[in-house]
Amino acid sequence: MTRPGAASAVLLLLLSCGLLVLTVWAMGVGASEISMSRVAQALWNPSGERADIVVLQVRLPRVLAGVTAGAALAVAGAIMQAMTGNPLAEPGLLGVNAGAAFAVVCALSFLDITGMSHLIWAAFTGAAGAAALVYALGAGPNPVRLVLAGVVVTSFLGAVTMAILMLDVQALDTVRFWTAGSLKGRQLEDVASVLPYLLGSLVLALLFAGQFTAMSLGSTVARGLGQNLALWRGLAALVVVGLAGSAVAMAGPLGFVGLVVPHMVRMRTGAEYRRILPYCLIGGAVLTLASDTLPRALWGRDVPAGITLAFLGAPFFIWLARSHGALRS
Amino acid sequence: MTERLYGLGMRDATLGYGRGGPVIEDLSLTIPSRRFTALLGPNGCGKSTILHGLAGLHTPQCGEVVLDGKSIRALGTKALARRVGLLAQTASAPDGLTVGELVRQGRYPHRPVFGAWSGADEDAVESALRRTSMTGYRDRPVDSLSGGQRQRAWIAMTLAQQSDILLLDEPTTYLDLAHQIDVLGLMRRLVDQEGATVVAVLHDLVQAARYADHLVLIRGGRIVAQGAPISVLTPENVKAVFGVDVVILSDPDSAAPICLPRCNGAATSNPQA
Amino acid sequence: MIRVFLVLLALLAVFFVLALALGDQRLPFSVVLGALLGAGETPGHVQTIVTGLRLPRATLAILVGAALGVAGAICQAVLRNPLAEPGLLGINAGAALAAMMIIVQAGTVPESLLPLATFAGAVTMIAVIFGFAWRGGTTSLRIILIGVGLSAMAGAGASFIATFGEIALVQRAMVWLAGSLQDSRWIKVQTLLIWASPVFLMIWMAARELDLIALGDTVARGRGQQVDLQRVLMMLACAVLAGASVAAAGPIAFVGLAAPHMARALAGRRHVALIPAAALIGALIVLVADLAARRAMPPLQLPVGVVTALLGAPFFGYLLWKKRYD
Repeated sequence: MTRPGAASAVLLLLLSCGLLVLTVWAMGVGASEISMSRVAQALWNPSGERADIVVLQVRLPRVLAGVTAGAALAVAGAIMQAMTGNPLAEPGLLGVNAGAAFAVVCALSFLDITGMSHLIWAAFTGAAGAAALVYALGAGPNPVRLVLAGVVVTSFLGAVTMAILMLDVQALDTVRFWTAGSLKGRQLEDVASVLPYLLGSLVLALLFAGQFTAMSLGSTVARGLGQNLALWRGLAALVVVGLAGSAVAMAGPLGFVGLVVPHMVRMRTGAEYRRILPYCLIGGAVLTLASDTLPRALWGRDVPAGITLAFLGAPFFIWLARSHGALRS
Repeated sequence: MTERLYGLGMRDATLGYGRGGPVIEDLSLTIPSRRFTALLGPNGCGKSTILHGLAGLHTPQCGEVVLDGKSIRALGTKALARRVGLLAQTASAPDGLTVGELVRQGRYPHRPVFGAWSGADEDAVESALRRTSMTGYRDRPVDSLSGGQRQRAWIAMTLAQQSDILLLDEPTTYLDLAHQIDVLGLMRRLVDQEGATVVAVLHDLVQAARYADHLVLIRGGRIVAQGAPISVLTPENVKAVFGVDVVILSDPDSAAPICLPRCNGAATSNPQA
Repeated sequence: MIRVFLVLLALLAVFFVLALALGDQRLPFSVVLGALLGAGETPGHVQTIVTGLRLPRATLAILVGAALGVAGAICQAVLRNPLAEPGLLGINAGAALAAMMIIVQAGTVPESLLPLATFAGAVTMIAVIFGFAWRGGTTSLRIILIGVGLSAMAGAGASFIATFGEIALVQRAMVWLAGSLQDSRWIKVQTLLIWASPVFLMIWMAARELDLIALGDTVARGRGQQVDLQRVLMMLACAVLAGASVAAAGPIAFVGLAAPHMARALAGRRHVALIPAAALIGALIVLVADLAARRAMPPLQLPVGVVTALLGAPFFGYLLWKKRYD
């Protein structure tokens, strides 16, 4: 697009290749180590051996869930930051993930819905409801209010979720790992039924990327430029709900991806969203996949990705709170 | 640009923000085309509200905002933005946005949703950067610039919009004298050389009288006086709008009226001004 | 003013008796009274229900609530932010993480260390928050944000332990993490009293310092107050109160937020009245919430922390909404 466009495209290509290698490697890590060439063989030319079954039925859905959920949450975070003008906006912190998780638990427990293709709609509804609530409570010039509103809505929904799970052991059993943000035990058909929504939202996000830069200049400027704010805010919200809802349905409420990745990307790309979003997509995928895989590779223990992400992301949040201009006063 | 018959204006417009009553009520105002108009008045008198109303940011509760004889509501948001550009007062760029990227945003109303960047877009950006002397700062982040440069970057964005009507909300606030003169001179050139219509909210009565063709004095959401500086800036009008006793002198260079606050009761009234 | 306190005390007494009388087995008032006074004709099992189960629980509820209410009042005064609360600042999360470590290692570490550990967790949390928030001074805004971040980390730590601990111990820890008074024993009442009451008295006597701090650093310094020292001491006191209550009943959310607000509305802004009022209201909230938690879905008992969150979060939302134009 611009002069640095070519260099940028090359870097993006390199990163994509890195992600691909990481993905193949991650599918080899686990209780039984499988070499990367063996993984590749299982993917392209499966012969029905045990290693093929492990790769295709256990590792592939898990890695796929991590990669796509991470990409979706990072992109959703970047868009939310543009929409709210708030550097701390993120689907996890602003309660969107908690809303989706709450609705999924409700659907499991009260409506006896179990198929992922139906649960996904519960997740969308919950994400949209929580986002609207947090925005209504916290919108304003002070960036902390939105975070506080997010914390409160999260803790409220968390309490209700906990009450429901205490009454419904069966639902608890289904979602125990999922609510901690674990990618373990994903079924390929579950992942496959969420994937179209998630990818669709990602495509929309990338198509609309140019709008988000205008939006990030603030409502007065954006309207002065002739942006139909009501329309584009609505579409952006729809995209965010689609991204966060399907990511949560797939991987549980993963926090901080949407915060860490866009900020790190901006340090390299600047503030133009046409460049931010593609990097966020790759970066979110890499971070989430690494969070899921590294503990297994290094210590042989299966730590839920949500926990690893919180350990990585919370210090980043603190650093941001300490150093960000808008929050300094 | 073709001759505009009517230009921009308001007809019996009532504007307000949800809470509290309307800020301005039943206001009619015609902005002279191809002139530099300055809106003057005390803080909270509704200047910014009028400017935002003219830019179509607020829909009037009653009445209408008119462009070339037609309500702007008939125009789409982008079509309006191609005619009317607004420089907001409290604009702040996101961290890391470069001047070039900011100015490119000015092309927003000219581009279809999925349209590619065109040669005309690039020319408009180049010209906007050149006219504001910001070409050398193209790749600098906006937040790293000084106050005056930052304001020029925002003005460049508004210029890249290529609208023939420019609305500026306090473009000179927070600038030092040299930068104030810079910005006002640029506005003057736009009007004189390119036939633009400029409306600016200003605070300095001397500068307004020196640079603007048409002054509008506002108090409490009502127009107290409007017209050429020499006829508008009278001690009575200034007293009525700002509650300050002034003497009016005449600029030896341009004959523009100069408004000077009186020492406490020391001077006597100057009936001829 | 006196009338406010009398009404609060009367309400507390009424709910205290209700808490003793209501339960799976509903007891008439006279029987409750008889059991309390040790009257001879009370059957043995009734005696056990009243003095062995319900009495310690109700007492603990009152003490925990009072401690949280005062801790919240201190937080709000010191940080000069009406939305500050030990839970929001991560103090509860720090205490909970420490407790989680103790509980999950129950085989090797004696449970009597629990109050000490939670206290250590709470104090560490405050130290870390202030350490991070300090940039040649602190702002309440930064303290709150850093508290949110640290609380997420402590929460992740607790989940980490929960994922790898022995399942039976983890289950126990989970109930406790939700904030529950189910396991109320006299030993807990004793421990809480020993930790909290001296701090409470000290804070009450130092109420004027809080009045001054709440006016802002410059004003307080101008009156000769050593602001930074006072702030550290006050936050330490807050950590003791919050830590002790977490040790007794787990992290109970939002009481520390709501109680001081109601207290301000009823008893004014002077801390000499505000502190006891916040204590009484906090006690009342936890007592009523626990009663609701016990009776809402019998025979199942909800953790009291869930009930206070259900009540408190909307209250917090209301506060945010009311101050939306600030």
